[in-house]
Amino acid sequence: MTQPLIVLRDVTRTYAAAAGPFDALSHVSLSIDSGEFAVVVGQSGSGKSTLLALLAGIDRPTTGEVHVGGTAVHALSERDMSAWRGGAVGIVFQFFQLLPTLTAAENVMLPMDFAGRWPAKERRERALAIMSRLGVADQADKLPSTLSGGQQQRVAVARALATEPKVLLADEPTGNLDSRTADAMLELLAGLVDEGHTVVMVTHDMGARRYATRTIELADGHVVTADELAHA
Amino acid sequence: MLSPRWRKVVRDLWLHKSRTGLVVSAICIGIIGAGSVLDAWSLLRRVTRQEFDASNPASAVLRTDSIDDALLARVRAMPAIAGAQARRTVYASVQTAEGPRTAAFMSMADFTANQIGVIKPDHGQWPPRDGSIVVEHSSVEFGGVAVGDSLSVQARNAAPHTVVVGGIARDVGLPPGWMEHVIYAFVTPSTLAALGAPSSMNDLQIVVRDRTLDRAEVQRIAREVRRVVESTGRKVSDVNVPVPGRHAHAAQIDSLLYTQGAFGLLALLLSALLVVNLISAMLTGQVREIGVMKAIGARNTQLAWMYLTLALLLGLLACVISIPIAAVLGRLYAEFTSGILNFDVSAFRIPWWSFALQFAVGALMPVLAAAVPVIRGCRIPVSEALRDFGISGSGRGSSRLLHKVPWLSRPLLLSLRNAFRRRQRMIITLGTLSVGGAVYLGAINLRAAVVASVDLLFAPQHFDMSLRLAAPHPADSLVAAVRGVTGVVGAEAWSGARAVVSTPDGPAGNGFSLTAPPLGSTMLTIDVEKGRPLAAGTVNEIIVNRRLQEDVPELVLGGEMQLVIDGAVRNWTVVGVTGNAPSPMAFTTRETLARVTGANGATSLVIAASSHDPSAQLDLIRRVRSELADRGFDVSSGQLMAEQRSVIEDHLLMVAGFLGNMSLLMIVVGGLGLASTMSLSVLERTREIGVLRAIGAQHSAILVMVQVEGLVIALLSWVVAIPLSLPMSIALGNAFGRVMLKVPVRLVPELSGVVSWLGVVVVLSLVACAWPALRATRITTAAALAYD
Repeated sequence: MTQPLIVLRDVTRTYAAAAGPFDALSHVSLSIDSGEFAVVVGQSGSGKSTLLALLAGIDRPTTGEVHVGGTAVHALSERDMSAWRGGAVGIVFQFFQLLPTLTAAENVMLPMDFAGRWPAKERRERALAIMSRLGVADQADKLPSTLSGGQQQRVAVARALATEPKVLLADEPTGNLDSRTADAMLELLAGLVDEGHTVVMVTHDMGARRYATRTIELADGHVVTADELAHA
Repeated sequence: MLSPRWRKVVRDLWLHKSRTGLVVSAICIGIIGAGSVLDAWSLLRRVTRQEFDASNPASAVLRTDSIDDALLARVRAMPAIAGAQARRTVYASVQTAEGPRTAAFMSMADFTANQIGVIKPDHGQWPPRDGSIVVEHSSVEFGGVAVGDSLSVQARNAAPHTVVVGGIARDVGLPPGWMEHVIYAFVTPSTLAALGAPSSMNDLQIVVRDRTLDRAEVQRIAREVRRVVESTGRKVSDVNVPVPGRHAHAAQIDSLLYTQGAFGLLALLLSALLVVNLISAMLTGQVREIGVMKAIGARNTQLAWMYLTLALLLGLLACVISIPIAAVLGRLYAEFTSGILNFDVSAFRIPWWSFALQFAVGALMPVLAAAVPVIRGCRIPVSEALRDFGISGSGRGSSRLLHKVPWLSRPLLLSLRNAFRRRQRMIITLGTLSVGGAVYLGAINLRAAVVASVDLLFAPQHFDMSLRLAAPHPADSLVAAVRGVTGVVGAEAWSGARAVVSTPDGPAGNGFSLTAPPLGSTMLTIDVEKGRPLAAGTVNEIIVNRRLQEDVPELVLGGEMQLVIDGAVRNWTVVGVTGNAPSPMAFTTRETLARVTGANGATSLVIAASSHDPSAQLDLIRRVRSELADRGFDVSSGQLMAEQRSVIEDHLLMVAGFLGNMSLLMIVVGGLGLASTMSLSVLERTREIGVLRAIGAQHSAILVMVQVEGLVIALLSWVVAIPLSLPMSIALGNAFGRVMLKVPVRLVPELSGVVSWLGVVVVLSLVACAWPALRATRITTAAALAYD
């Protein structure tokens, strides 16, 4: 039996708040296999974004362990965490978070630049190839502010794929898009899963379930259900 | 081709032009302030040393009787002497368009053979011809003369004589004529004779062979020369040995240079603080982008290099702009300063090291200033960076206090609270403005202290004018002659002489002036600090001032020593020490001096006038001179005390004036800091301003909110600067006293300065906050709420 790609063991994340310590996640254990399209749902404050932040290595558990692709993420130093993040995971944010002073292609090239894994002269070509797959190659030399929401989100996905990560983490990627564009984005992510990527997506959009292979429902920092679904 | 991250660095600079402009301006101000001072300093240092040395200044000057070639040959033959020449200086009155002026005519047998105190022709005729004069460069403006002018000159009581200004020349060894209120000019002995003045040479200038000798050694050589001169049967009435290699105004030059340097550095420091402030704020605006870059794999070191490079680029950009401006300003300032000190910098270049130093400081200053905020910014955890919503500090401490003031309106309360939300930034802005204010107040305090000390200096003198006579005359006759002149309310005849301390080895130190008013004088109060006043008796008593004691340490209180006066050696006792004076002086009574020298006459006349109006006093001195001439008294020169006072003030206020200029520069830095703080405050609170507008705040309310916030910081700086100015004033006063004149310590700031500083900060605040306030009013509600 193959090892799951993502494993969380008894993870608790406690924040200090004015009213006292607050557990955003409490004793969460779960695993996600390679090639899954996991959708994390739940009310506001249920711990969805905290879970994603722990998987992305942009936050650390107060207690417990987080393993992604065999790496004990919770044990990495800050420096190693950055390097790991640059190659192991791709992140897509709700508000796209493209750097406003770089063109779309440059935004996609930026992770390659930080990782330093591809020769400098090949990076633009690679970026354009990824953007072409996502249907935004013609927007390559435009600044983010001139692109539509859907186009910006596709560029953000292209950026997340730039360093060929095994895992794509998406934090409400459709939250800022109209329904038609949101559907297109979900299809895009499902397509990436078909190509062999593993996607973990946090969303409020219950309609997203139809693209998911699995739904993880959180409530008050606990996993309520972690159903495996038949792919639609 | 640049990689995306470096392209981001370049585009961040280019696309955020106002922010880039602000940071570059801050660095530019620092470099322009410090760089122009450094350029001026390096130029002045070079020119004052090289030009003064190149003029081959006299090591000593001995005043004696008519000097001939035989005497010069004997002195030149002495082993320690490298050169000797003879001059004569005659004082006369010159009629200019602006009234009579005192002129000093310097003459020598052959100006083309002049090798000591070399005179450089500027334009027009050189050397002077018979019947014409060549005016010294530093006197041209003061005298209001030009080449080709005809001037009426009266030497002593001779008939006025017309001379033509044939040319202009520069003698860097002379104290500037404008500062001394004297027209220096060079004339031939024939011209002196034509003016009715003595034309034989009486000043023996010597240059010692070893230029490295100290003053005491040169004085020893001067004593040998004196013996040689006296062996020819001539009397030596005075020996003057200046400090070797030091210009007459070296103290002022040094004082200026060091004060400039100190304040140049202070300006640089303040601009560095401003840069820290701006770069911190710039990084605050980039926190979310830093978070995103970290999330996609950027390491802290990669991010730190990016932002430090950005700071370096800002510094390089500022260098390109500011170093040439600093060079132009530095040269202008050096030309101005060297001009007033009678040097010419036009042939000198700013040394390369000055540019190199400015470049290094300009490029590295923003990098160093950015280092801490960059490291701190890059260390922010990704999750925290991604959650950044701009300003978060609530100014809680101040809030509690502000809530206790019931009459404060909500918008005003918001402005006051906003001022304290970014504490570090507020402290830096406040500090910058306060230091500028402290220097401003310090300069005003110093100016007031200088004026007060000049008041003290002149307080003992209860007369308005003094006249010097060419020969001694009976005191009673002199007083009687002027008492009848309308406008004279009091007169006293004084005598005086040059004296020197005699030691077994010969005369010690420089000669000094001995002033001798009558016993019980009502025109002069000698304020005795130590010892007692002069008394009638048979003992020869003198009172010396502190400057003289510094120059001639043998003159201790209670000490008995021999003084040589007009060749007569007598025992004298120092019975008192008096205080402040810009030059070394001693006092005795007219009666004592007459007893010692055997000459029962007065050599000067002091007069109290009924009017203090300058033109009335000028008219009076003219009428007094005329009356004295009619009665056969030979007046060699006359001076108004008001004029003498302005000569001293000109010297002293030069430094205070410079400090005033530096404080303005620092206030500009402070104003820029306030403008940047307010711009950033508006930028960070875009969302908050949007909310305020959404709930009904009008343009005027937003405008007032920003202006009041700026005004709070400005008024706080007004308060902080007042106590801060006191140590500043004390430090400035002490520094000033060491090189110029001791000034009274002022523990209370000048009220006029405090009031004007309030006006300055209010205007500064309104101007500095105008643009940020306007920008705040232009924020639309929709755009503000979509911010982030």
